[in-house]
Amino acid sequence: MSAAEPGLTVALVGNPNTGKSTLFNALTGLRQRVGNYPGVTVARKSGQCDCGDGTKVELIDLPGLYSLSAASPDEQVVIDALSGHLAEDRRPDAVVVVIDATNLLRNLFLASQLSELDIPVVLVLNQADVATEQGLKIDTELLSRRLGGVPVVLSSAWKGEGISAVRRAIGEALRARVRMPAVEWPALVEEALADVATGVATDIGRAPGRADVERLLFDSTTSVGQRLGWASARRDVVIRAARDKVRRAGYNPLAAEPLIHYARLRKLLEGVVQGGGDRTGGSAAVDQVLLHRFLGPVLFLGIMLGFFGSVFWLAKFPMEWIQAGVDWTKTVVAPPLDAYPMLQSLLADGIIGGVGAFLVFLPQILILFLFIGILEDSGYMARAAFIMDRLFSWCGLNGKSFVPLLSGFACAIPSLLSTRTIEDPKARLATAFVVPFMSCSARFPVYALMCAAFIAPGWQPVVMIGMHCVGLLFAVPTAFVLTRLVLKVKPQPFVLELPRYQMPKPRDVLWRMWQNAAEFVSKAGTVIFAITIIVWALSYFPRDAAVAERVKAANPSVAEAVVTAKIQAAYVEQSYMGRFGKAIQPAFDPLGFDWKITVGVLASFPAREVIVSTLGVTYSVGEGAKADSQHLRQAMKDAKWQEGPRVGKPIFSLAAVLSLMVFFALCSQCGPTIATLAQETGGWKWAAASFVYMTALAWIVSALLYQTVIRLS
Amino acid sequence: MNLETVIVGIIVGLAGGWLVRRWLAAARRRKAGGCAGDCACAAKIQPKK
Repeated sequence: MSAAEPGLTVALVGNPNTGKSTLFNALTGLRQRVGNYPGVTVARKSGQCDCGDGTKVELIDLPGLYSLSAASPDEQVVIDALSGHLAEDRRPDAVVVVIDATNLLRNLFLASQLSELDIPVVLVLNQADVATEQGLKIDTELLSRRLGGVPVVLSSAWKGEGISAVRRAIGEALRARVRMPAVEWPALVEEALADVATGVATDIGRAPGRADVERLLFDSTTSVGQRLGWASARRDVVIRAARDKVRRAGYNPLAAEPLIHYARLRKLLEGVVQGGGDRTGGSAAVDQVLLHRFLGPVLFLGIMLGFFGSVFWLAKFPMEWIQAGVDWTKTVVAPPLDAYPMLQSLLADGIIGGVGAFLVFLPQILILFLFIGILEDSGYMARAAFIMDRLFSWCGLNGKSFVPLLSGFACAIPSLLSTRTIEDPKARLATAFVVPFMSCSARFPVYALMCAAFIAPGWQPVVMIGMHCVGLLFAVPTAFVLTRLVLKVKPQPFVLELPRYQMPKPRDVLWRMWQNAAEFVSKAGTVIFAITIIVWALSYFPRDAAVAERVKAANPSVAEAVVTAKIQAAYVEQSYMGRFGKAIQPAFDPLGFDWKITVGVLASFPAREVIVSTLGVTYSVGEGAKADSQHLRQAMKDAKWQEGPRVGKPIFSLAAVLSLMVFFALCSQCGPTIATLAQETGGWKWAAASFVYMTALAWIVSALLYQTVIRLS
Repeated sequence: MNLETVIVGIIVGLAGGWLVRRWLAAARRRKAGGCAGDCACAAKIQPKK
């Protein structure tokens, strides 16, 4: 593929959930994440697009926005990109406005505003297939003529229809450089705009762009004044006088812009759109049930129960196959290395034991993301936002907080980035603070390991849902205190555009599954692989021969196999890891953790899933390399306290298992999440507060839970 | 020191070195305003001064 034409950039803009990212993927061949709910794209993404005539341009996918009045950081990214104020980017050479073909009037408002930017425009009427289903007929030629020859193209990006036409239209727009005619303002409004432009030019010494002038006049919260360096005292005087003129024209200055644009658009669309009756179609009927006040939450709970139950049920056999593969690899690798016990232990106990224990959960991760993909793509996730909104509005969170919190169940990092869609900085901060409480997929292997080993099959889905709710249970009061008492966030109504229900697209769902599986396997082959080697070394060394002699001397008439197992256990106990774990263990004793769990917990602070491989290594080294049939789960079931008041009792009692799961549900154990929180909140203060708060909370709740269950049982 | 110890030492050293190098690279990336995660998912978003 040849390089993009030097300097030729084309921006993709439009209202949220109009299919911009799907179109971006179709035009660039990339695999940018898409979703059937608003707010999936929160940052600028770019790729190379062929215009069909050999011309290659850099295509920039921008977050969705309804108007140029930026209120949230993601919307500001779009304004900055379009006006050439984004670092590393200059002003785009053309703009592709992606419009929902079923709702031309509302979507064209943004296009109408963009006409003031004086950039060549292409209008892509996307989701044309849905418009056709709704009986809508759109005369694109008439619309193009009325817009001064601006290319207007019908497409259905997810079906791959109309993509070539969009490519050609981009090429044509770059060649012909056709601009969309700007709106004709009433004379007094035009005068007011001229006054503001003159005021800016007089004070800062250069003429401002027309779009900047409009933002200054029509928006009450714009940051354009600061960006231009226009002194606020003088600015206020000029703008107040100009807004008085707008009032004299008969308009409220803050409502004038949409009123005038919509009046123009209604006239423009006369005869362009024909047909179409009930636009809501079947979605409204389904929503009557799924969003019902009482039935909705019950169905939501049922869907979640089925979801987690299926994850266990469907993954059972593939997990057993992987486990058998891991065992087989161990039996093949270990025997030839009998003469080299250290190397044998590194390969069999360390690498195969640790990485294998982690990889076993691959089928569950695949099924988890298959279901998440189906729920998102079908449009149900956005409904889940409405069902849960009552809970969130009670705790004072902004309605827009739900989408980041919802995506936090997959991974905290993109959900922290998606808090940029929240306009109010305090609400954004409160949301970012509670996002790490959401039970991300990295916690999943920990819950799955504990449930599979210690919870009866019938209860596994219930415990899994319970664990996913634990974070939520503590996020709600935390958010309440933060929003109501600390940050004093003003409550705002929840406005989320409900997407249409649609059949999940297998390509997108499978792609998402594949991406997450690839990430999981890549993590196993890189970070987990390296950490297991370090954990193995710390569990293996030092190896003093005197330890073995001591064990043999203490067990003169015991069978050789038992003595060998005792020697392995003694070696692990006196290893660096064993000594460190035993020194720290008293701090975790109230939670019911022995030194091996303590070591696993501490090793998991950079990434929580590390505990699985760490337990895999420590139990494997403890059992000896040839104990290949001992799966981690069985080894954990057999583990007993060796000393203290609980001697002889199982380490993994129900109390300890619940305590460990709750600890992982609440503790802040993810380096990248803490770093992202620092990045998104503009410093380390809130990130540090989040780490200390979550870790302390996890310790206290787990200790209380363990002590309570122990006493009750 | 026998060959086995040397091989194991090299493997452990390489693993430790790789982890440290990776964490340092992530810290540098964060400092430059890039993605704070490991996925390099977020492009730089810094308005011009």
